[in-house]
Amino acid sequence: MEMRIKITVVLLLSGLILALLPLSANRSFTVKPEKLISEILDPDVSLTADQVARLIVNEDSTIRLIDLRTPEEFSKLSIPGSVNVPYKDFISSDLYMYMNDMNIRNILYSNDGLISDYALVYARGLGYKNSFAMDGGLDEWIDTVIESKFTGERISARENALYETRTKAANLFIRFNSMPDSLKSAFMIANKFSAKKLDGGCE
Amino acid sequence: MFPEWLDLLIAFLIGTGFGFALEQAGFSSSRKLAGMFYGYDTTVIKVFFTAAIVALIGSQFLNYFGLLNLNQVYVNEFYTGAAIVGGIIMGAGFIMGGFCPGTGLCALSIGKIDAFVFAAGGLTGAFLFAETYPAIQDLANSNYKGAVKINDSLGMSSGLFTLLLVAAAALMFWVAELAEKRFARPEITNEI
Repeated sequence: MEMRIKITVVLLLSGLILALLPLSANRSFTVKPEKLISEILDPDVSLTADQVARLIVNEDSTIRLIDLRTPEEFSKLSIPGSVNVPYKDFISSDLYMYMNDMNIRNILYSNDGLISDYALVYARGLGYKNSFAMDGGLDEWIDTVIESKFTGERISARENALYETRTKAANLFIRFNSMPDSLKSAFMIANKFSAKKLDGGCE
Repeated sequence: MFPEWLDLLIAFLIGTGFGFALEQAGFSSSRKLAGMFYGYDTTVIKVFFTAAIVALIGSQFLNYFGLLNLNQVYVNEFYTGAAIVGGIIMGAGFIMGGFCPGTGLCALSIGKIDAFVFAAGGLTGAFLFAETYPAIQDLANSNYKGAVKINDSLGMSSGLFTLLLVAAAALMFWVAELAEKRFARPEITNEI
């Protein structure tokens, strides 16, 4: 038999074996339990509302916010620029659709920060080291960023920067959520351009 | 996981091996590649398709035995409109130039003048693309489908899809060899 025919037969047989194998291995947890737990407890995997606010105000293009709430909740209120993947869909997917770009940090959030922690365990367990969660969820975000007010007499430079970021994020949040769904994505793009124009400088 | 210099070194070694294989298989001749279009030499499709199915089978087995997590392998995002238009432009450039980008650089490195022109054309195209991007942005981003895999959109397991693709490849190789007999031209491998 000619060599290439032999090779063809070997390839076809390998294909046949693959077709008959159960593919549950595709979605198994690859991370050992003790390692997973220490990874989840690491403070670096959770971001505070202020950190997320700064990323949004700076239009950091290396992050993606994933909103784990239901589509109804999402269309009512969401953090600008986030995508909606309801928790149920999230844990029944093998996540490569959302997470396979390792250059993007995916930040998960829910209403209270509990659901997003479950989702984080799932994503980290599948080996997605590019997944993070926002501490305290949307509740904490609204408390800290949207409803924050400075009370005191003298403001330090550091506090000033913090409050400026919060105000910018809050403005974006309020304007974004007062729009109909159909305009939201256009708003994000327009906002990007206008922000660039205003900032000027050496970009 | 690895330091950057090691990543770059590995990339360099793989790239060198790839270039060497292309060159010694005669792929730096545009006649070899044009032969694919006219049907007298179908080496190109056989080599590249074999490489693809070997990689497909190998990665599935590695995944099955837990040595490679396929879920973490980057899947290119799919824009239907852009893929069709880009594919036509790429195909036209391929048959006019007689090279694909990899073999073009191979031929460039052994000093072929047509490859210099080809590479200059490629760079000009990249420049024009970048300069006219705002005008074609809508097309470039049209029909975004995300990081889809064919087997998922067909609703079959990746193993079954692999088997069908290997069978399709074997059938295609057989047709390709029939075409080679029908459109045969004198052997050129030794003179290039």
